[in-house]
Amino acid sequence: MIEFIDIHKAFGPKHVLRGVSLTVDSGEIMFIIGQSGAGKSVLVKHLVGLLKPDKGSVLLDGRDVTNLREHEFYDVRKRCAMVFQNSTLFDSMTLLDNVALPIRKHQNVGLKKARELAREKLALVDMQDEALRYPADFGDGMRKKVAIARALTLDPEFVIFDEPTTGIDPISANIVDRLIRDLSDRLGVTSIVVSHDLRSIFGVADRVAMLYKGHFIIDGSPKALRESDDPIVQQFINGRPDGPMEV
Amino acid sequence: MTEASARPRFGTRLLAAIGEPIVLPGREVVAIARVLWLTIYYAFADRIRWREVLRQCYEIGNRSVFFISVVLGFLGMILIYQSGFQAQRIVGDLQLLGALYVQMLFREFAPTITALMLATRVGTGIAAEIGSMVVTEQVDALRMSNAEPVQYLVVPRFIATVLMTVVLSCVSLVVAYFAGMFAGAAFFDINPRTFFNPTLLIWGDLYIFLMKSFAYGIAIPVIAAEAGLSAFGGSEGVGWATTKSVVNASLAITFLDFLLSGVGYVFFFS
Repeated sequence: MIEFIDIHKAFGPKHVLRGVSLTVDSGEIMFIIGQSGAGKSVLVKHLVGLLKPDKGSVLLDGRDVTNLREHEFYDVRKRCAMVFQNSTLFDSMTLLDNVALPIRKHQNVGLKKARELAREKLALVDMQDEALRYPADFGDGMRKKVAIARALTLDPEFVIFDEPTTGIDPISANIVDRLIRDLSDRLGVTSIVVSHDLRSIFGVADRVAMLYKGHFIIDGSPKALRESDDPIVQQFINGRPDGPMEV
Repeated sequence: MTEASARPRFGTRLLAAIGEPIVLPGREVVAIARVLWLTIYYAFADRIRWREVLRQCYEIGNRSVFFISVVLGFLGMILIYQSGFQAQRIVGDLQLLGALYVQMLFREFAPTITALMLATRVGTGIAAEIGSMVVTEQVDALRMSNAEPVQYLVVPRFIATVLMTVVLSCVSLVVAYFAGMFAGAAFFDINPRTFFNPTLLIWGDLYIFLMKSFAYGIAIPVIAAEAGLSAFGGSEGVGWATTKSVVNASLAITFLDFLLSGVGYVFFFS
């Protein structure tokens, strides 16, 4: 279980999170939605120690991980993987070595063994034939698939997906959605998905929470989201430029 | 709490503005010291990626040789021309010009000018490369993969820059030496053999040359890496990081030059 408790975070004068609280149950697929710049990615990065809150705490299965030191996060990051918005593959490495890196670093295995395991993960996303090519040879969609393979190398219990279907074709987006669903159904992986993709939200999510002006204004099932009588929620999910939401 | 009521009062903001010129540079120095400490720690505590070090040596060394040689060559000629012109007016005798020039090359000119050029070419490259990785979350991805960013990104560049700064300082010394000799002969009919006069050179000149080269070689990549690692805000942030890298490195080189010249005076030259 993941718990964000009263998280405050500011960057200079910009107060992004103003007392955000959220609980994600084990095995759940939780979608966090909201406008660009609402603080969705900022919130989820607190779980894995990439950011520290100004106030509040983050609990992982009851353990307070808010103020751990960098080396104390290594165990957390074995259990919690993250697929970043920009794929974040390292251009100087082949796809195979990109996926092998966390295996080598977290499990301290040799290069050959790490590459064998990395090939298995690339096969999950149907990229095994491209293993020896470089990220620059591919578009966003394929790089994102490799980034997902990299995130799954340590068989994590929790995975954070930061806009996993943004910028990729509908077929690849569908494959990613099915992968997220499979991880939950077959392996009990807890997923937090930061997304704007309404097709994914209504197709895959168990729960949806919407961030607006530093607070969650709704937290419920996709059905509850669709039927919400909050005008801001309706403006967002219907994509209307005019309305009470400040854009 | 509203945005307006959250804004500090005028008095608080005035005090912050007064303290900022002291607090901000202080934070910079602390951040740079932290990166230096981590770099040295990981250079000894963890496995070094020697292939990456070699690659960086090529990027820093081979690709800077022409640039450094041209700059030091021309500056050497300008220095001989200007000092020879003044010496001719005041003293009239240019016999010691060559020997004094060589001494100055060792003590000051070669290592310091080389370092300032490398801070521009190499430092900005390091800051831009690491800064781009920061703003595109690649550094976050490294941390998630249990790869410490300083160990992975900074240590190879640090080792390569230290080595190449010493090497390039030697190259620039030789280039400037011959360029100055040529200028002396061309502008003032100075016998080139007077440039082979090592009378004024002492071992302290060599020690100072090496100390400065090493010190600058340490300062440039550490300062550039800190600037890159603190980048934020997309491409604009990367631009600011490269500017910060050049400014801070230039200040550091100037300060180290002053400090080490003082050390030289106390221990070798007085």
